[in-house]
Amino acid sequence: MANTWIEKLRSAQKTCLLQDGRKKVHFTFSDGGEMAEEYDVRTDELLVRKWRKKLNNSFATKQTSEQWEYEIGEQLAPRNLESAGLMESLSNPIFVRKDSSTAFIGRVRNLPFPIETYMVTVDEDKKNIVIRTTNKKYYKKFDIPDMLRAQIPLDQNSISVAHANNTLIVSYKKPKAIIDMEKQIQTEIKKMKAAKDGDVDCTPS
Amino acid sequence: MAVPSAETVKEVREVTRIERIGAHSHIRGLGLDDALEARNVSQGMVGQVDARRAAGVILEIIKEGKIAGRAILIAGHPGTGKTAIAMGMAQALGTDTPFTSIAGEETEIIEGEVVEIQIDRPATGTGAKVGKLTLKTTEMETIYDLGQKMIESLTKEKVSAGDIITIDKASGKITKLGRSFTRARDYDAMGAQTKFVQCPEGELQKRKEVVHTVTLHEIDVINSRTQGFLALFSGDTGEIKSEVREQINSKVAEWREEGKAEIVPGVLFIDEVHMLDIECFSFLNRALESDMSPILIMATNRGITRIRGTQYQSPHGIPIDLLDRLLIISTTPYSEKEIKQILNIRCEEEDVEMTDDALTVLTRIGMETSLRYSIQLITAANLVSRKRKGTEVEVDDIKRVYSLFLDESRSTQFLKEYQQAFMFNELGAPGDTMDTS
Repeated sequence: MANTWIEKLRSAQKTCLLQDGRKKVHFTFSDGGEMAEEYDVRTDELLVRKWRKKLNNSFATKQTSEQWEYEIGEQLAPRNLESAGLMESLSNPIFVRKDSSTAFIGRVRNLPFPIETYMVTVDEDKKNIVIRTTNKKYYKKFDIPDMLRAQIPLDQNSISVAHANNTLIVSYKKPKAIIDMEKQIQTEIKKMKAAKDGDVDCTPS
Repeated sequence: MAVPSAETVKEVREVTRIERIGAHSHIRGLGLDDALEARNVSQGMVGQVDARRAAGVILEIIKEGKIAGRAILIAGHPGTGKTAIAMGMAQALGTDTPFTSIAGEETEIIEGEVVEIQIDRPATGTGAKVGKLTLKTTEMETIYDLGQKMIESLTKEKVSAGDIITIDKASGKITKLGRSFTRARDYDAMGAQTKFVQCPEGELQKRKEVVHTVTLHEIDVINSRTQGFLALFSGDTGEIKSEVREQINSKVAEWREEGKAEIVPGVLFIDEVHMLDIECFSFLNRALESDMSPILIMATNRGITRIRGTQYQSPHGIPIDLLDRLLIISTTPYSEKEIKQILNIRCEEEDVEMTDDALTVLTRIGMETSLRYSIQLITAANLVSRKRKGTEVEVDDIKRVYSLFLDESRSTQFLKEYQQAFMFNELGAPGDTMDTS
């Protein structure tokens, strides 16, 4: 239920920081996983939510643990083709989650096809949203982790699709339970004291 | 035009066998039943019931994986199947056994059909190549930019448009699954083993649970360099620092406790172990104490002999302190019936038809000389029979090769008679014991 998620956040170790007009909250959970959220200071909109799971299974003991996984927002890390081996080309469609206060929004950039091309449906198990294209150029199956955490099944009627500027926008209207929960979290975060990130005293030796 | 050429390729493949027939290639296991009782003739093994049963017990120890640092010695006369038993053990253990640690892990893989692969070399001839790979599934299409290493491995795997491939994202390993069905009608010469597979469905990137089988050394290499997995494929392993070694040991111990990894104790087989000298034996003594040490299987055909590097005599040429740590399996000479069965199996393995009489004669030869000699006569006799356009090897063919090739005792006899006529005889006759040091 929604409450278990709030309980999890409450029990986590939290630090808060104000930086670049964003309020950054960092959670460390009891299982060693980390989550970082960034809120716009003025609108309280959630800009970034990223996860770093405790590395439990890999032969590499140190290198791969540094990676953040983005749930919301976009990773703006420099591309290093040589170390990655292969990467998706920048001309490909790129899927990014970016929410508003009333809806979960998935944006797919670099999709030039007209809006009739796309078919957005809820999967049979009511957990995933599937974007299909009639010309078989793009396919994406994604879930909304917020809804999974609250254990609310997805509803086809809440989905709306728009297309503009080579971008496909899939919005899913937030149910009331989610909006209430987010308000509750927001008040909790407001209560936290944020450390100002200014010029830290630093005397080079 | 291309179709007949594909046919001929197939024919050539069937004629030339990829693996040649080795001395023990007929052995496929130890030939034991579930209760570890040896079946008299099974999986290429004949006789040596007690030794095989003992080997089966050892095999169980290895499979349980609980005990490390045990050593086994297989001792017996020449040609009594010591190596065969060892081979049987190796076969029964399977390919994943040699000292491996296995862990299940969820990794991201990219699976799709190659639409286009484009690699550009710079006009100057030197410098980095640039590459693009377009992959598709039934639902989507994606273009990938390629790094230098990936271009190399794609070229090495000879990936071309129409192939279905998977790429492991973490390691960069490419696996060709086959050709796409949509390309089945391309007029192209294809090898006999070309497989056609369906174009994958859904998303290109998938999460898959994979089980890795790696050696501790490979884990070391992955962690001692920054390139990760790729270093393994290029063979550029470099030096393993002792800190890395220790770090991995503790990490592996952690994985084992969590039940994520399992260490399969390996098997180290040392044939002709009497050839090791005292320093090697001392090292083995120490190495066996380690809880990571493999199961050591040694074989020897020596009785009481001098330990190399010393003046001391010892059973099997192995120091008593090491001998004390060994479980000794002994093999006994084969009976006539067993020799006949082995020769029969070898005839099948070497694709030789032989009459019953010829086989009986060959068995007699095997009894009087040695099993190895009679095995070697099989192919020789087959050639002789083919020269006279016969379909089966007959007694006369055996007689002929018996007269053409000397066995060890006839050769010794010959040498004794004509010793004077050989070179360097003036220096005096050599001693009758072979010096192995």
